Amino acid sequence: MRAPLIIAIPSKGRLKDAAAETFQRAGLGLKRIGHERGYRGALEGVDNVEVAYLSAAEIVHQLRTGRVHLGVTGEDLIRETIADVSSSVEFLRPLGFGRADVIVGVPDCWVDVSRMADLEDVAAQFMREHGRRLRVATKYMNLTRRFFAAHGVAGYRIVESVGATEATPAAGTAELIVDITTTGTTLRANHLKLLEDGLILRSQAHLIAARRASWKPESVQLRDEIVQRLSKVPST
Amino acid sequence: MAAESAKEFEALEAQAAALLGLFTRAGYEPVAPSIIQPADIFLDRVGEAIRNRTYVFNDLAGEELCLRPDLTVPVSRLYLERHPEAKVEARYCYNGPAFRFQPGGGSQAHPREFRQAGIESFGAEDREKADAETVLLAVEAVRGAGLKDYGLRFGDIGLFYALLDALDLPERWRLKLRHYFWRPPVFHVLLARLARGERPNGEGAGAELAATIGTEDVTRAEELVANYLETKGLPLAGNRTLAEIVERLLDLAADLRAQPLKKEMATVIDYYLAVSAKPKEAIDRIALVAKGAGIDLGDALAAETRRFERLIRDGLDLSNTIFATEFGRSLEYYSGLVFQIETRGRETLHIAGGGRYDGLLTDLGSPRAVPAVGSAIHTERLLAAIQGTPR
Repeated sequence: MRAPLIIAIPSKGRLKDAAAETFQRAGLGLKRIGHERGYRGALEGVDNVEVAYLSAAEIVHQLRTGRVHLGVTGEDLIRETIADVSSSVEFLRPLGFGRADVIVGVPDCWVDVSRMADLEDVAAQFMREHGRRLRVATKYMNLTRRFFAAHGVAGYRIVESVGATEATPAAGTAELIVDITTTGTTLRANHLKLLEDGLILRSQAHLIAARRASWKPESVQLRDEIVQRLSKVPST
Repeated sequence: MAAESAKEFEALEAQAAALLGLFTRAGYEPVAPSIIQPADIFLDRVGEAIRNRTYVFNDLAGEELCLRPDLTVPVSRLYLERHPEAKVEARYCYNGPAFRFQPGGGSQAHPREFRQAGIESFGAEDREKADAETVLLAVEAVRGAGLKDYGLRFGDIGLFYALLDALDLPERWRLKLRHYFWRPPVFHVLLARLARGERPNGEGAGAELAATIGTEDVTRAEELVANYLETKGLPLAGNRTLAEIVERLLDLAADLRAQPLKKEMATVIDYYLAVSAKPKEAIDRIALVAKGAGIDLGDALAAETRRFERLIRDGLDLSNTIFATEFGRSLEYYSGLVFQIETRGRETLHIAGGGRYDGLLTDLGSPRAVPAVGSAIHTERLLAAIQGTPR
């Protein structure tokens, strides 16, 4: 018999450590059940909650399908992966960590380009001169498509990139990128610049509820308890 | 297929046979182009509304392919395979599946997979005649299938181009407005920006640099920009050449020196794009807009009048018909007439549509321009509209 409330927590990396610290400060310390490397756990101070340690991608998937009630993950992953965000999940509370801006970056030698509107003109010129579309390197295919469409930019194609995205323009495998940045240092080091209106999403980790999960009165009560405790932790 | 029951499948099959029979008797040869198509042409030319909804994938050889989102492009490619010289007149008809991603998952009114039945005509030099034949045959097809209550909607991309040609504009703005016509959300932003005389590139290094090199010749401008990049330590990256960057900076410089777009011109374009009325009324209003602006739309407007006179003469009932100047902005390959047959009632559903696409075959590699016009029917919707099921 599974617990009335299941909460998914990142199983590794910086998100896992930051989540553990935030929950600890809220008096909700994460306990591993069974041996040290187990993938299930419980919360200190609140009974009947099962903690599921999952990868970031799996958390998004299980939130969407409602196999977990709550989850901690980045807004960027949710908006990238889920097509119908508002009918699938509810953002309960920003957690103040895992901050990252999803941005459009172009080579800083493109002195004629400073806004999204310039990109479509460049794309038309690029097609004329090189016979192909601009290539955008990113792992955020859906965020890119939506953002570019909203700005009327269409003359591009996406090349999927799962690492060292910011190096692709210098390497010549893409012309521009959509990627996350926290301070902009990596961008500058790779001779890229952020477009004036190129901020796609200011993301951070959230506590997120799955609308399709089975919400019994007891689950709702437990959710409210967790949200209430987290709300007493000042966000950093 | 989107037909989930045997009964629906049979009804669709019977309807398809009747449609193809009609098209064949009208002189269109049945064809069945490939379902899997190269992705590029679709992504480049079909426009945002379909681009985002095309199933694209890489096969094991790394080739970028797609499931065809419509049949016009595949049939055009088939024409060019059969007639590489593109000198022959040909008419084709078809009935087959097309695929579109539906953000909310597939539904009956918006399926992922549906069958299109349609006609395409290539190489007919008398465009007005071919346009009228296409509209009449599409209407005859849906009426013959049993559709009684429907509306017709017309537009004409060529008329908008004629308007831009008639306005006294710098050529680079004309090109820009033509290009952005296909991006409705930003078109109006661009127009307003030009009319306000707003500096196209805001402040920043680009505008400054453009001002510096503005009156220089290209060679000198390239030297100056190369120096600038060198001094700032900005290496060339991203596959654009110095010449390309300078070309845009010089355009920008021209914009900085130019007078703002005359307010009357922006207004004329806005008024024109707001026209949506019964055909005769719409044409009269466009004539009025043109007259007020002191411009001559030449034969383009007269051709519009001839079109509707001809359709009436050929027996088309235009009582539920709208001509809307904005209509047709979602499919980027259209170049002239666009039309749609739609349901009437609470939700307007597109049952069939089509138009002229004189530029597409050149983009597909044709050695010469080929006049082309066609129409496709969304067969599941047609059947649903006839059966009266709420969908």
